[in-house]
Amino acid sequence: MLFDRRQIFAALAAGAAARMVRAADDSVAIPGKRPMILHNDRPEDLETPVRYFDSYLTPVDVFFVRQHIPRPAPIDPETYRLTVNGMVSKPLSLSLADLKKLPQYTVPAVLECTGNGRGFYSPKVPGIQWGRGAIGNAEWNGPRISEILKLAGASSGAAFLETDGADTGAIKTPDFIRSLPMAKALHPATLLALNMNGQPIPNLHGFPARLVVPGWDGTSSVKWVIRLSATAEPNRGFFMNPGYRYPKYALPPGTPARPAELEVIEGMPVKSTITAPEDQSKAPLGPIAIRGFAWAGEQAIERVDVSTDGGSRWREARLTGARLPFAWRLWQIEWQPTDPGYYTILSRATDSAGRVQPIVAEWNPSGYLWNAIDRVGVTVEKA
Amino acid sequence: MRKLVPMILAALLAAALWSADQATLDRGKKEEQQSCTPCHSLRLIHSQRLSRATWGKEIDKMAGWGTVVPDRDALLEYLVANYGDDKPVPPPAMSEDGTGKK
Repeated sequence: MLFDRRQIFAALAAGAAARMVRAADDSVAIPGKRPMILHNDRPEDLETPVRYFDSYLTPVDVFFVRQHIPRPAPIDPETYRLTVNGMVSKPLSLSLADLKKLPQYTVPAVLECTGNGRGFYSPKVPGIQWGRGAIGNAEWNGPRISEILKLAGASSGAAFLETDGADTGAIKTPDFIRSLPMAKALHPATLLALNMNGQPIPNLHGFPARLVVPGWDGTSSVKWVIRLSATAEPNRGFFMNPGYRYPKYALPPGTPARPAELEVIEGMPVKSTITAPEDQSKAPLGPIAIRGFAWAGEQAIERVDVSTDGGSRWREARLTGARLPFAWRLWQIEWQPTDPGYYTILSRATDSAGRVQPIVAEWNPSGYLWNAIDRVGVTVEKA
Repeated sequence: MRKLVPMILAALLAAALWSADQATLDRGKKEEQQSCTPCHSLRLIHSQRLSRATWGKEIDKMAGWGTVVPDRDALLEYLVANYGDDKPVPPPAMSEDGTGKK
């Protein structure tokens, strides 16, 4: 009990210090980040405003940030060690230099918060009320998890990879530990990333090493990784169960989860987002470029269709960039409205598995995996 | 018509009993400061709009994670009164430019 109190006071002191560096108007500047949608400043939960999404790679200084528990004190790259243990023949303690000696691979991949779009669900569900911007596409670089596990002599009987980050929960908040099925951990695209868009991963994004699990929800990609364990069973902590689970059978909106029928989320749904024009913006009568991005977890995007009349008629947009499974595709379509007025623009993606973005996203008690057809409104004015 | 008047009176009485008095709300606000801010900023709470039942579950979840909530009832009334699911969703807050900061 005394210990708990001490932790509370330490946290209070840290909070007071954080408040002191704030401006008098309660505004908050997050070091290294341009202005972003601020859902929480301690710990930092930041959403990318849609207008920043107009490039294939999302710049680091506007990339979304999700933290469940306070982030760890900055890790010294000299003293950093990664423990590799569990069902391995050679338990390892690897330095950053050791990790850099392994072959380095580059994987462009989307990271999307499992709860991106939660704020659109009705009835409302608890959690960060993300809009459309808890997502980004970055180039990740580092050694493969499979090669680290090979170095440690991981047993072929290990069915899961357990990953722990250096962050720890305040008071009795559970530690953030995640398990990944070994088949996904051994996938050649699954990395222990040391770099993000060609620079060392910033502290907010997991310096010096983070897991990147392409095609899966962002919560799989543990930050500040300090331990990898080969295990027979999945971790049973809060962030594996009930956290980040999805109902096996859809529930009536507003009803509680059935714990026995919750499943771990694997992969991600098909989804597109309109990045231009901006929602509720005005444009002069004339040619208008409608742009956006689309991705489909482990699948590839096949096509994106766009409607400018609320969904009566659809036209196929032009996809640009390489067709890669884990990265997003940018898309674009030219539009020439003939009359001024208010238009509802919709986008709908289809993937290589035949999945199509739905009109209605499936409500679920934790507000995960929002992927309804995207929608913006624009007022076209007489030129 | 004869039934309508007592029904309205009963509804008004229920509403009066249901809505918390100012003293309770003040206590709830104080409780929020004491029991919630050790672990996270208030933005996390104030950006949400939840039903009474859901706020109650959230308080109990956080109590399970170690925060002490001696005035739970007042905190719940305060949250429902200010951040209930019948309240309008606030416009998104923006952070200031921090690119020049380390």
